[in-house]
Amino acid sequence: MAKKDSRVVDVTAQADALGAGVGGMTAGFAVTLRNMVRSLPGRNSVTIQYPEQRKPYSRRFRGVHVLTLRPDGRLKCVACYLCATACPAECISIEAAESPDPAVEKVARRYEIDLARCIFCGFCVDACPEEALAMTREYDLTTRGRLTELRYGIEELTQRPQIADYGAGYRPHMQYPLVESYLPTNLPPPAAASSPEAPAP
Amino acid sequence: MAVITIDGHPLEVEPNLVIMQASDRAGIEIPRFCYHPDLRPEGSCRMCLVRVKGFARLTPACATPVADGMVVSTAHHDEEVAQATRGVLEFLLVNHPLDCPICDQSGECSLQDYYMHSDYGLHRSDVEPEEKVRKRKGINLGPIYMDSERCVMCSRCVRFSNEVSGAGELQFVSRGNHVEIMAFEDRALQDPYAGNLADLCPVGALTSRDFRFKRRVWFLDHADSICPGCSTGCNVRIDHAAGHIERLVPRRNPAVNHSWMCDEGRFSYKRPESLPRLTTPRLRIHGALRRASWDEAMAVVQRELASRPPRGASAVVASPMASNESLWVLGQLARALSSSPHLEYRCLADPSPDIREDALLRRRDKHLNSTGAGWLGLGTAAGLEALALAADRHELARAVILHGAPRVGPNEPIRRELLSRIVRGTPFVVVMSDVAEDWGDAAHVVLPVAAWAEEEGTYTNGAGTVQHGACALNPPGEARAALAVLTELWAALGGPRYGGPADVFQRGLMQCAAFEGLDYGTLASRAATAYPPEGRMPYGQEGFAGR
Ligand code: SF4
Ligand code: SF4
Ligand code: SF4
Ligand code: SF4
Ligand code: FES
Repeated sequence: MAKKDSRVVDVTAQADALGAGVGGMTAGFAVTLRNMVRSLPGRNSVTIQYPEQRKPYSRRFRGVHVLTLRPDGRLKCVACYLCATACPAECISIEAAESPDPAVEKVARRYEIDLARCIFCGFCVDACPEEALAMTREYDLTTRGRLTELRYGIEELTQRPQIADYGAGYRPHMQYPLVESYLPTNLPPPAAASSPEAPAP
Repeated sequence: MAVITIDGHPLEVEPNLVIMQASDRAGIEIPRFCYHPDLRPEGSCRMCLVRVKGFARLTPACATPVADGMVVSTAHHDEEVAQATRGVLEFLLVNHPLDCPICDQSGECSLQDYYMHSDYGLHRSDVEPEEKVRKRKGINLGPIYMDSERCVMCSRCVRFSNEVSGAGELQFVSRGNHVEIMAFEDRALQDPYAGNLADLCPVGALTSRDFRFKRRVWFLDHADSICPGCSTGCNVRIDHAAGHIERLVPRRNPAVNHSWMCDEGRFSYKRPESLPRLTTPRLRIHGALRRASWDEAMAVVQRELASRPPRGASAVVASPMASNESLWVLGQLARALSSSPHLEYRCLADPSPDIREDALLRRRDKHLNSTGAGWLGLGTAAGLEALALAADRHELARAVILHGAPRVGPNEPIRRELLSRIVRGTPFVVVMSDVAEDWGDAAHVVLPVAAWAEEEGTYTNGAGTVQHGACALNPPGEARAALAVLTELWAALGGPRYGGPADVFQRGLMQCAAFEGLDYGTLASRAATAYPPEGRMPYGQEGFAGR
């Protein structure tokens, strides 16, 4: 059953109108030429000199995760597994343990995101009841292998000086600026670390 | 019979029931905390309020007997009842810490489920954390972890401890807002049934220390089985994930174990972790046991068993841990080997004195299928002692031994000693075992077979009830189901071919008078539906939808 109001493009009729010989070919080259001129450097070019130049991404960009910390440096994560439950790629693995601090019941002994399997949907961040997980705008993950290098554990997910460069990404429920409040003390001062193209966090 | 109407559904029920039991049979859910089908009713939590036409006030469904002509409406249909239930729920939440993300009960918690119910939950509970009455958290009671803040004062645990196990170790102290559940001086519970407290507590106030933080419950897969711990055969549900058993919880069966199981049985799933498992077939080549493939090993066994030895008898040792199906095929195999085989499964010597038994559930016989082995006529010699003597006198020509390690109690030193004598005194021995134990090292062929929970089958408990246990895990390494190995051997000796436990049961076992009239499919589906014939258990939910 054909949809009544859908527009039918009769390609044969269009080709016939352009003629069989040089006409059609010229029309094609015209399109190519037009786009080539448009993208010449210095004009409204879409091409940038990556990786020296980078595009600013949206503040809702869903890049590599960070595990946020309490003021005393401990993980905020309470090992509730809600992120692992929400994750459609099943790439988060957590091991809970008894906390040495009597005021805290449960801590994550191991927390691992396999970023090679992650589809960066952000469901884990949505699910977290503790604001323990947020995303950054870091997107260029390059490694030599793909089995274990991209399995980020607590260490990799907390020690991320890169986020000063890339800026904070998707964290819809977080009321405070991620970068300032979270950055571990061992990071270089943000001024020295940020490059001119880096977007303000 | 009384005819009553609940939410417009007419029901015919026995007159000695309370409204709660009638509604449970009809599948109409009435929320409850204190009611438990295997404890005496108390009527203290008021969560189960319903309206009965003609009564001046709302009445608790768990404490009101049905009467002919009664018209009942529940929170699902009556806004006033829903309002009252919401009020009760709100009172329970006033001091509740609402720490579901770290609470181990989360996912199987009645309070959580009721709060999420669209008829009486989902209201806004606006009590600031500072205003809540704080109580003691994180108390270690041996097998149980206690968090008083999460308690809803249903007294199920107190009643269990007083009425069922008789330990009487828990009590309420203080009053009103400050009431708390407490064990004397926070000492570890001595009750051998204490594990049940974690199951029956509807919230996360009492949780299992063994299961603590292992897995969120919605990641668990389930298999309905029978406890391997003793001849009571308590109905259990195996909760497993990623190829490991994470816990056993009892399934309700009023005829066998009510809603309970003992702690020895509950933790019996850990035994195999401490026993080395057999993972590959092994064959004696030039005097030494070497790794072999299944084909090589089975070829040797078939060749040896098919040839008639010039002199000496054939002996078959059965395991009271094996399923009825395996034992039946083993019996047939024995009769195919010789017209008068020595068949035995019993060890007559008194087992160790520190095996415990009591009036509630635990039995001295720590095997789950001794009765089945007896029914199938597998005890024809005068105990393993007689077989061992015969082996000592070199009267045996060949022996087939099916062995399963017991899960509870000492690991049968006497039995292992007798088996060792049989193995050493017999010219050709096939051992089918789940564990690698040194008595088997003198055998000629050692075949790894599945242990309990790795193979489906039926078991006959001490009272003669035939029950079905499902398969939860894969056997380790190259181990195969005992039944598959046995049927293959029997077929090689000229027996019929069978296609699995259901087939063996229907075509084979049912020829035995004891199993007549039973049906494998019915046994298996009974296992699957036995959860809440009456009353929702705090677990047994369909799980997290969508996973
Ligand atoms: S972003 Fe999506 S896929 Fe990646 S870890 Fe989070 S939930 Fe899983
Ligand atoms: S949801 Fe948040 S608090 Fe829970 S385990 Fe994941 S990161 Fe930790
Ligand atoms: S500890 Fe659990 S079972 Fe005991 S009274 Fe409290 S809520 Fe009920
Ligand atoms: S009483 Fe026996 S069957 Fe029941 S749980 Fe204990 S060991 Fe298992
Ligand atoms: S008062 Fe009926 S279930 Fe508690």
